[in-house]
Amino acid sequence: MNKFIVTAFSALFAFAGAAFAQGGPNDAQIAGIVVTANTVDIDAGKLAEKKSNNKEVKAFAKQMVTDHTGVNKQATALVKKLKVKPEDSDTAKSLKKGGDENLKKLKGLKGKDFDKAYIDNEVTYHQAVIDALDKTLIPSAQNAELKETLVKVRPAFVAHLEHAKQIQQSMK
Amino acid sequence: MSWATHIQARRCARALRRPAAVLLAGALVFGWGTGLFAAPAAKSHTVTIEGVQFSPATLEVNAGDTVVWNNKDPFPHNVTAENKAFHSPDFAGGRSWTYKAKTKGVFPYVCTLHPNMKGTLTVK
Repeated sequence: MNKFIVTAFSALFAFAGAAFAQGGPNDAQIAGIVVTANTVDIDAGKLAEKKSNNKEVKAFAKQMVTDHTGVNKQATALVKKLKVKPEDSDTAKSLKKGGDENLKKLKGLKGKDFDKAYIDNEVTYHQAVIDALDKTLIPSAQNAELKETLVKVRPAFVAHLEHAKQIQQSMK
Repeated sequence: MSWATHIQARRCARALRRPAAVLLAGALVFGWGTGLFAAPAAKSHTVTIEGVQFSPATLEVNAGDTVVWNNKDPFPHNVTAENKAFHSPDFAGGRSWTYKAKTKGVFPYVCTLHPNMKGTLTVK
């Protein structure tokens, strides 16, 4: 099942790369992708905060909600300032779909199975977002401030990835 | 200046000379005293938190100095010494936390929310 999620996310971002291979997403689409990516992780975090019985997993989930909410607020404020309206795109749609599938799967799990599935997905998700930032979003961003924001937000995803990996190791 | 006022001025100067000398000596002794015995003026140092990193990650200050951690990330952080010598609450993006470094020593610290965020404060 975990393999399934990994494959789903990898396929998703491979698709995103292919879809934008010609011109890359525009700034409005990038804004939409950023907001969707954060929202997907906030929703998973909220579920894990409620469902997990593991103290470490709960704390991590809570932090994901806090941090990604903060990033989304910053992104929304920037978008307003730049007078860009976040646009939907195939990548954003696929992200949303992947997030919904993950939630559905997680809702059917309990205890350690839930914790493992949630954390495994967090590792995959954050790695996928970092790849998307490096390969598609940062290189495609036209507005300097939007590009700078993406660059500044990247270390947060790296920190989350490392944190998730540590929890993943400790659960083995 | 008229002759009369000149005399008056000299008298005045003479009257002032003694206390002035005393004051001057006092100021010298006082200045010498503070230079020798009092700590150098306390400084304020800033550590910027941005991109989930402390910058500078290592900082050396004198006891009595103040360190301000400025959070420029869009989410909360904290500053927690590994030996709990100091421990800030979580503070949101755009906020800062100030610590007066009184205890001497080498203090590795982290943000407990992001355990890979590490810094070291040395208080001399």
